[in-house]
Amino acid sequence: MAADVRAIIAGLGGVDNVIDIEPCITRLRTEVYDASKVDQAALRAAGVHGVMLAGNVVQVVVGPDADTIASDIEEIIG
Amino acid sequence: MTTVLAPVAGTAVGLAAVPDPVFSQAMVGPGSAIDPERAPGQAVAPISGTIVKLHAHAYIVEGDDGRGVLVHLGIDTVQLKGEGFRLLAAEGDRVRAGQPVVFWNPAAVEEGGRSPICPVVALDAADGDVNGQVRGGVGAGDDLFEWS
Repeated sequence: MAADVRAIIAGLGGVDNVIDIEPCITRLRTEVYDASKVDQAALRAAGVHGVMLAGNVVQVVVGPDADTIASDIEEIIG
Repeated sequence: MTTVLAPVAGTAVGLAAVPDPVFSQAMVGPGSAIDPERAPGQAVAPISGTIVKLHAHAYIVEGDDGRGVLVHLGIDTVQLKGEGFRLLAAEGDRVRAGQPVVFWNPAAVEEGGRSPICPVVALDAADGDVNGQVRGGVGAGDDLFEWS
């Protein structure tokens, strides 16, 4: 299942909650303002392989399309 | 069946030994991992095919059957932003198994406080499709596991 970009943004707490997003070959390293707004179940439902939350850094494991997904997300959040 | 080769020389320790849950929990696929020799050296292509992703610290070679194998050179090495790594091939290049892709120094990665362990992952393979994992000492280009 390909990950759903808009559902990933929603799972991260929406456009306004995302500070930064950086792809690393299999995962998105994202920094958020408010970690309590991150919905891990929603992220998993969006088709990601796994989610790791540490402080306000969320690692979303999306598989080898991380670069493409990150640039799609950046286009949406601007 | 695809025979996946060890991309670096060292000790094959298995994915469970990798200090990163993405790999140790096989989130992106099963495979193996190598604790590399602490000496500068070449990381080679684990299978024949096309380099579909090439970062300084990680690369994916996809075979003509669409199977992708990920090689990650050390853990959290994205933070090095390529420093200490030299590309010996380019994204989009066709490579044969065993052909050099990146030159790096595992000792320098370790001195920087990061694990130089190298996960080798059969991307999106089912657990039962990867077997015959070699354990112990391997040279770069030696057989590492089979992907049935």
